[in-house]
Amino acid sequence: MAMYKYDSIDQTLVDQRVAQFRDQVARRLDGSLAEEEFRPLRLQNGLYHQRHAYMLRVAIPYGLFNSKQLRTLAHIANKYDRGYGHFTTRQNIQFNWLSLENTPEILADLAKVQMHAIQTSGNCIRNITSDPFAGVAGDEIVDPRVVCELLRQWSTLHPEFAYLPRKFKIAVCASKEDRAIVAAHDVGLYLYKNESGELRADVLVGGGMGRTPILGVVIKRDLPWQELPNYLSAVLRVYNRFGRRDNMYKARIKILVKALGPEEFARQVESEYEHWVDGNSTFTNAEWTRVAQFFTKPAYKNLNALSSKEILEQAASADQQAFTRWLDRNVKSHQVPGYASVVLSLKPHGTVAPGDVTTEQMLAIADLADQYSFGEIRATHEQNLVLADVEQSSLYSLWQSARQQSLALPNIGYLTDIIACPGGDFCSLANAKSIPIANDIQKRFDDLDYLHDLGDISLNISGCMNSCGHHHVGNIGILGVDKDGQEWYQVTLGGEQGLNAAIGKVIGPSFFAEDMPDVISKVIDVYVEKREPTEKFVDTVHRIGIAPFKERVYAEVKRA
Amino acid sequence: MPKLIRYPKQGQAQLVPNDWQVFRATEGEESAALTPGKVIVPFTWWTSHGAKEQYQGRALKGEISVWFAPEDDILAHRDVILAGLKLWPILAIDFPVFRDGRGYSTAALLRERFGWDGELRAIGDVLIDQLLPLSRVGFDSFAIRNDQSPDVALAQFNSVAYQFQNDWRAERSQKQASLK
Repeated sequence: MAMYKYDSIDQTLVDQRVAQFRDQVARRLDGSLAEEEFRPLRLQNGLYHQRHAYMLRVAIPYGLFNSKQLRTLAHIANKYDRGYGHFTTRQNIQFNWLSLENTPEILADLAKVQMHAIQTSGNCIRNITSDPFAGVAGDEIVDPRVVCELLRQWSTLHPEFAYLPRKFKIAVCASKEDRAIVAAHDVGLYLYKNESGELRADVLVGGGMGRTPILGVVIKRDLPWQELPNYLSAVLRVYNRFGRRDNMYKARIKILVKALGPEEFARQVESEYEHWVDGNSTFTNAEWTRVAQFFTKPAYKNLNALSSKEILEQAASADQQAFTRWLDRNVKSHQVPGYASVVLSLKPHGTVAPGDVTTEQMLAIADLADQYSFGEIRATHEQNLVLADVEQSSLYSLWQSARQQSLALPNIGYLTDIIACPGGDFCSLANAKSIPIANDIQKRFDDLDYLHDLGDISLNISGCMNSCGHHHVGNIGILGVDKDGQEWYQVTLGGEQGLNAAIGKVIGPSFFAEDMPDVISKVIDVYVEKREPTEKFVDTVHRIGIAPFKERVYAEVKRA
Repeated sequence: MPKLIRYPKQGQAQLVPNDWQVFRATEGEESAALTPGKVIVPFTWWTSHGAKEQYQGRALKGEISVWFAPEDDILAHRDVILAGLKLWPILAIDFPVFRDGRGYSTAALLRERFGWDGELRAIGDVLIDQLLPLSRVGFDSFAIRNDQSPDVALAQFNSVAYQFQNDWRAERSQKQASLK
């Protein structure tokens, strides 16, 4: 299995962290630690206090985990929660119905399978996200996972950056397509090899969603990988010292970068970095080797690539149509002949929150991973799961099993593959609910032929300005807002992730929840009428602008 | 006077007597407010009053140290601080609220960039659960808030045995492990 394995240092650190948190919880429960002072401590251990209960967000570093870990997550869902978990938009998983008293036990269970909840929340360096197809993607330039793991370690329990002005998110991309929304992060890294074959990084800074969506800009090019801790320390030190702390909505690094201007910010970073370059914090080749040994290729068989026809022939004739659809949407190309990557859809139409999985599904997915994909699973920021190394000759049998667990809906990349935060049903920050909106839209568009005709459209929903549902970069973005105690929804069009990342534009005043399926239908109608052959939704929006959409949507719905 | 923990770079954490008073001047306050004996004054107070004869005299007797506020940009006052380091017996950094992390970077800079190897004290809202990271970035002295239990506080410094970054006290644990 190609996964980092803890050594005794990693294990001891995580075990001691559990003991430390157990002691903090005990002091909270006996009253000697006030809630106000406990709050940042529990957040740095992924523990939120939500509307109904405590929520624990468990880290899945760069989205990579294994069947044993998933079985532990299933156990937690079953024993401490209500039989399900929720995959998040940052490749983590969270449990919504926990009690404070149980969390030390849960963290101890996680530690036994080399997992933790460290820094999945709080004003610190968060879990590092990356490409869910790392190591297998056909368009990969280099494998980002060694860098991701080195940075995971470097950022874990960092003493200087535990009380930053605000949260700090890092994403890493090392392929031709950007599947990690790198430009929408506080720091984004594009990895590549230079002409001499040395691993280098371009560093973007100041991206983010939230109230002030902005795309990051490159402030450093051609940084040797060994220098990453040095340069990132310089960035973080400048941010820690000068980022705003007077207003939490203006505290992200993007506001500082914007206020100083990227050039001045880069200059300040550079003058700090001078003191770090080539210093003691520089990653060593020995450190690379120790970590890289875990990310070797799994034991692939020597197989011939199958043609589409040969793959399809596996299926019984009654299944041909459905299986074809699934191959078309949910199966991705692989670097190795005879293999493919499979996306398990966690977006059934209208029945569950996007990204939710039940205990039973978790156990089934763990079995599928063992049977078909070297026991490994990846979480995507779109809130689906990937089995990355499936033999093409097993696709049909995998499809049949996945279908029994309602994990085989062929809607990846379609309008119904909705990204959504938990919203007002759970989250105490939310202004409005997200899940019912997602479900209503999924029900409205519950026709696979029509979805197929519409092609790639991303629809992202956030229940508040914190933008956990990434609505700014959805081709269609929906944002829940609160007006006089009522829940309203604002629509943006033209957002995009990937190398052409763009922030969507607001089309106008917001709508009631019950109008949302109609609003989306009208937006789609305009696209269908105006599109050129093979033109994607987002390209039509960019070509014709938002005016025609606006005209149609507001012609009949007059609100707010 | 707050309870004081000393945790030298090489050594054990222990409770020790505290003989320094913290002087929290407000704008316009003059010498009348400066208590006799050993006193830690705000850095900004020092920059406006420190040159006066009466304070130079006390400073030469080792009675005056300074504390830095979160917003003090110590790199911008490099020369004043370098001169002061020859006079001030200890340095302190104030945490008006424990969640304000600027003091961590100030401490790291005093150790790394100014070469300060004397006592560096955390004052203000200094709580049990921040002692470990504070000790790692360069603090070796902690005037814990009055309601904090010294016994629980002393137990913090050994609560996590390893570390993933170089800091003032030690190198990252995995660097050595990688050489095996």
